[in-house]
Amino acid sequence: MNEAKKGMAIEQPLIPTVVEVIDIVDRTPDVKSFFVRNTDGSGLPFQVQPGQCGMISHLPVGEAMISCTWQEEQEYLEFAVKRVGLLTDELHRIEIGQKVGVRGPYGNGFPVEACKGKDMVFIAGGIGLAPLRSFIKHCFKHRQDYGKITIIYGSRSSADLCFKEELFDLWPREQDTQVFVTIDNPEPDWDGHVGFVPAYLEELAPSPEGAVAVVCGPPIMIKFVLQSLEKMGYADDQVITTLEMRMKCGIGKCGRCNIGSEFICLDGPVYYLEQLRQLPAEW
Amino acid sequence: MKVLNKSKLIEALNVLSSQQEVFVPIQRESQSGYFSWADYQPERDELMLEALNVYQSPKNVVLPQTERMYGIISQGMEVDIDQTFEDAHPTLIFGARGCDVKGILAMDEVFLTRGFVDSFYQARRANNTIVANACYAPGPNCFCTAMEVDPVEPVGADVIIHDCGDYYAWEARTGKGEAVTAQLDGLLEDKEVKLPSAQPFQLQVDYQGVAEKLKDMFDHSLWDQMAEPCINCGMCTYVCPSCYCFDIQVKMFGEKGYRFRAWDSCMFEEYTREAGGGNPRGASKERFRQRFLHKLEFFQERYGTPLCTGCGRCIIVCPTDVNIARIIKAVKEAEVE
Repeated sequence: MNEAKKGMAIEQPLIPTVVEVIDIVDRTPDVKSFFVRNTDGSGLPFQVQPGQCGMISHLPVGEAMISCTWQEEQEYLEFAVKRVGLLTDELHRIEIGQKVGVRGPYGNGFPVEACKGKDMVFIAGGIGLAPLRSFIKHCFKHRQDYGKITIIYGSRSSADLCFKEELFDLWPREQDTQVFVTIDNPEPDWDGHVGFVPAYLEELAPSPEGAVAVVCGPPIMIKFVLQSLEKMGYADDQVITTLEMRMKCGIGKCGRCNIGSEFICLDGPVYYLEQLRQLPAEW
Repeated sequence: MKVLNKSKLIEALNVLSSQQEVFVPIQRESQSGYFSWADYQPERDELMLEALNVYQSPKNVVLPQTERMYGIISQGMEVDIDQTFEDAHPTLIFGARGCDVKGILAMDEVFLTRGFVDSFYQARRANNTIVANACYAPGPNCFCTAMEVDPVEPVGADVIIHDCGDYYAWEARTGKGEAVTAQLDGLLEDKEVKLPSAQPFQLQVDYQGVAEKLKDMFDHSLWDQMAEPCINCGMCTYVCPSCYCFDIQVKMFGEKGYRFRAWDSCMFEEYTREAGGGNPRGASKERFRQRFLHKLEFFQERYGTPLCTGCGRCIIVCPTDVNIARIIKAVKEAEVE
């Protein structure tokens, strides 16, 4: 922890804690996972629940809100970051040992308790698998608490599939679990499914009975998946999604991430569809 | 009642200024706003206590236009935060109007409640005292009473002064107000006062039921008409006493630098533009609608009060004649399916 923060008696939610990047893993050509822990090796700057986020800061460049993965007994936080802009481009250049800033945890997280006893249908596209993965890992850790688990995931190409080891090796081996993977266009060495996620979802048609669907991906994918789920008979209180907006403060002050009177950083980012339908259609 | 004779006003400001930084309404060359009395130069500046509203509100005293947050040292892999810049020096806003006091109360809700306390705002606000200047003669664009402001006895004022011609009637309302009053020991006199009588408002605005009605008007065609002239210049947000949105940026000079925040504006396209290219409010109309819904509906829903204080500044500065009073009227009169 940085000295400036240690001496203060008051809370300083906007001041990051300086941590060390202890590992970096290439997930796809433009997604890397950064593993961080306290600079003195003592573990975590904070704990997060599935679906919560953290601000990661390359201090001389900027900071961004990123979905954060952590599990009990894990001595580090993981941020899976897609290279899309100025900050993430710089983050992708750093090496193991780099000191970065983090603050959090932010947001409400997934309703892991309310989903107990349900069949879980996880539907993700691209980097949208990152936040769902925390929930998926939570389900596997507490396997008896949840019913059948179905994971439907797609990306532009096979190279863009995130977390391949989990997708193809670890998760399919879990009890009562099915993993379905699709890519947008055919490739010579790909013998899996080809096509968009919403169509694949309708083809697979996981039953809505006793199920909860959790959706994350690009806005256009989310839009069509929500339509498909509705068509398949999922009620609005059986569908959960997690939103993203531009954020600066992460604590509901700076103003920009509102939808209606909700601040996505603080009140979200996770919503049931029935809650979203109460908000202005700006998501 | 205690009074401050106007002949002793300058002396009083000097005495107060020796105890804390005092911000007063000043016309300085082409600008007017709340500037530090310590920088007052009679040949350049004009004290504007008689004016209703100077161009800039005093919000900069508690939320500066730019504010350093923390220092950064960056030496390759080694990066650290060497200091933070919470500013707790005592300040006094002298002469704020009720609408501007309400603006600060609205910001108190944002920065000091709902889970997180903003340490920068808290440091300034905890050490800030407000001497409000009661309004008895509203201007042509004033409509504060419609927005839950009492212009004569504004909530949130530590002291209220009433302009009675040759003197100000001086009324301490809080412990902080008593403390400031004590600083002026010997300058205040006891006197039987006759307070001015309040003049009627020239502009009639009826906000009753507007927040509720707006819930069903997100997609109303009214926004197309109203937003048409807006050029998204953001002037309204800069002069507004309650607009508080901010950006966070970094400035590095070689290995050393700092992170700072600065006022931002929902009028700007970059405000909500995401790194991936998406923008939930990419269109001008969407940003316009956001500003007025935030003022009149969303803030009311979240904090129980509107985010407009009826000061009228945005009406005066808008280069395209967008007028919040007319918007409130249009909402009242709109037909909703």
